[in-house]
Amino acid sequence: MTSLLQVVINGILLGSMYGIAAAGLSLIFGTMRIIFLAQGTVIVFFAFVVYWLFVKANIDPYLCLLIVVPFAFLVGLGLFYALFMRAAALEDKNVSLLIAVGLMYLIENAILKVWSASPRGLDISYSSAVISGWGLRIPWLRVALFGLALVSGLVVYLFLQKTRLGMAVRAAAEDMEATTLQGINSGWVCAVSFAVGIGLAGVAGVGMATVYSFDYQFGFTFALKALIALSLGGIGNVFGALAGGLILGVIENLTAYYLSISWIEAVSYGVFILVLIFLPQGLFGKRGVVKKA
Amino acid sequence: MTQEAGVIPEKVEREVPGNRLGAMLGRLMPADRGRRKLVWLGVGLAAVVFFATLPLYYDVANGQLGIFFFTVFTYGIVAQGWNLVAGYTGQISLGQNAFFGLGAFTTALLWFWDITHTGYWFDPVLMILSAIAPAILAILVGLPLLSRLRGDYFAFGTLGTGMIISVIFLNGGKITGGSEGKLLIKVMPEGVVFNLRSHYYVSLMLAILATLVVYFMTSSRVGLALKAIREDEISAASHGINVLKYKIFSFAVAAALAGLAGSVYCYYLLHPMPMNVFAMSWLFLPILMTVLGGTGTIVGPWVGALVVYFIAWYGDKYFPGWHPVILGVIIILVMLFMPAGLAGIGENVTQLWKRGSRAP
Repeated sequence: MTSLLQVVINGILLGSMYGIAAAGLSLIFGTMRIIFLAQGTVIVFFAFVVYWLFVKANIDPYLCLLIVVPFAFLVGLGLFYALFMRAAALEDKNVSLLIAVGLMYLIENAILKVWSASPRGLDISYSSAVISGWGLRIPWLRVALFGLALVSGLVVYLFLQKTRLGMAVRAAAEDMEATTLQGINSGWVCAVSFAVGIGLAGVAGVGMATVYSFDYQFGFTFALKALIALSLGGIGNVFGALAGGLILGVIENLTAYYLSISWIEAVSYGVFILVLIFLPQGLFGKRGVVKKA
Repeated sequence: MTQEAGVIPEKVEREVPGNRLGAMLGRLMPADRGRRKLVWLGVGLAAVVFFATLPLYYDVANGQLGIFFFTVFTYGIVAQGWNLVAGYTGQISLGQNAFFGLGAFTTALLWFWDITHTGYWFDPVLMILSAIAPAILAILVGLPLLSRLRGDYFAFGTLGTGMIISVIFLNGGKITGGSEGKLLIKVMPEGVVFNLRSHYYVSLMLAILATLVVYFMTSSRVGLALKAIREDEISAASHGINVLKYKIFSFAVAAALAGLAGSVYCYYLLHPMPMNVFAMSWLFLPILMTVLGGTGTIVGPWVGALVVYFIAWYGDKYFPGWHPVILGVIIILVMLFMPAGLAGIGENVTQLWKRGSRAP
């Protein structure tokens, strides 16, 4: 019983990574209607940046948040204006999808060239600290990861609900055309939501650097995991995406516990397909609001 | 297609670049349709004759061009299949690597365990079965996916299916050889010497077959139905087209083509590993080829296959390790500046002729 509880808690804590990534995907999808497939690779890129900051400048990974997140925001703005602004305006969404694929290829192999193929992990002084009690052992870093996910989810939620720009983003997600007619600069709204999405990728990068051992190929798998989390939680709902990530984490850990690690992928994609077919609005999405793609 | 939210209205119209080149080429192309068809037929025949006679004056078995063209043909067959689904039916399939791998493994397994008792080199029985198995999978997967999912959702459904299939083969243990690929094919038929020349010819024939299949499918009533579905599904359905049937049909044909390519590639590898034949490159490179060449055109996938593999081949030679980066840049540039692909230039030609070839 304790071990089952341990598995579930581990799943929730590790799944919060998927949650952050899925929240970013959800924001980008909300306004631009594209699935940003390069999200995972971008996260791995930021994880490498954190790794560099840690190794070269000896900056604590959580302190890196102050550097990485604004940097990620700027990267997001740059990427949007350089690559996606014109493509996002096209009706054919495959153009944006393929640009994202090209970007993924580009970043992945650039990482391979710059940082080589060997997997990395941070060796932080407190990385072995554990909370234990009731027979459970929970590493501090994972708890911190969960906290990171909650805080970033809350920040994005407050941004969307309490600021004028956030309101514009929500409006654009509802109906881009009507939003444009209200005099809102749709390009800027798309740019901001894209940049916030990439900023979340920066947060996820910090999380990945602290908890996982990562290499250049990890990104694509991770993007798919974020996609599964997104479909579980329902598109267009930040907390739904976070919750989807947690559920996916639990599913993966239970699979590893009861079957074997090598079946994780099959089970999580199986759940993904079942959700797509039977619950396309996700577990937390509102019924009847899913727009036909 | 209906306008969707997310489209920024005032920016929808967009100049297709390449008009100047189009205008230049336009003067070379005959104006009426029948004669244009003849020109294309001539180009196609010339290409076929060139590739069929290449082994007569070039040693394809040992020269680099042999393996180069063999790989181009193999990728091109998969690309042509994807083109049928994406370019003509408007459904983005992200599961082609699963069909390719399934084809390769059907050949390998039947051969290794000698189930059909036909031990020929490039066994036609095995190759046909390797085309049928992915087609059946496509129908089984397509029924739930295509009847309920559209657009992005269908793409991700196929992606998930592909992942599941490759995980099953990775965990197949003794039967599939598992992740290390212990399935070594040692039972070469008697009197057969491994010679790339035969690979070259077989892949060339299959490439021609794939092109003909896609051509005849798309220029017949079936193709008309597929294009109608691509343009507007609801309208197509209300005109009496059985949307699901045609979608599944094109999806299954594409899967069969990928399976055929996988089967040929298995005769080249002789040692299929799930890592190799289910690799993502069998998904992304054919898509890149089709898109670069021009989706929804017959020549597009071939032009794209030649260009992409040329870049990959020489990039690997002169900038080792950097060529995927270069490919990434090229995908982005192509999508930004000529989303209709290289064949889009040809499209401009046609349009210019219709307008009386006035310069832009």
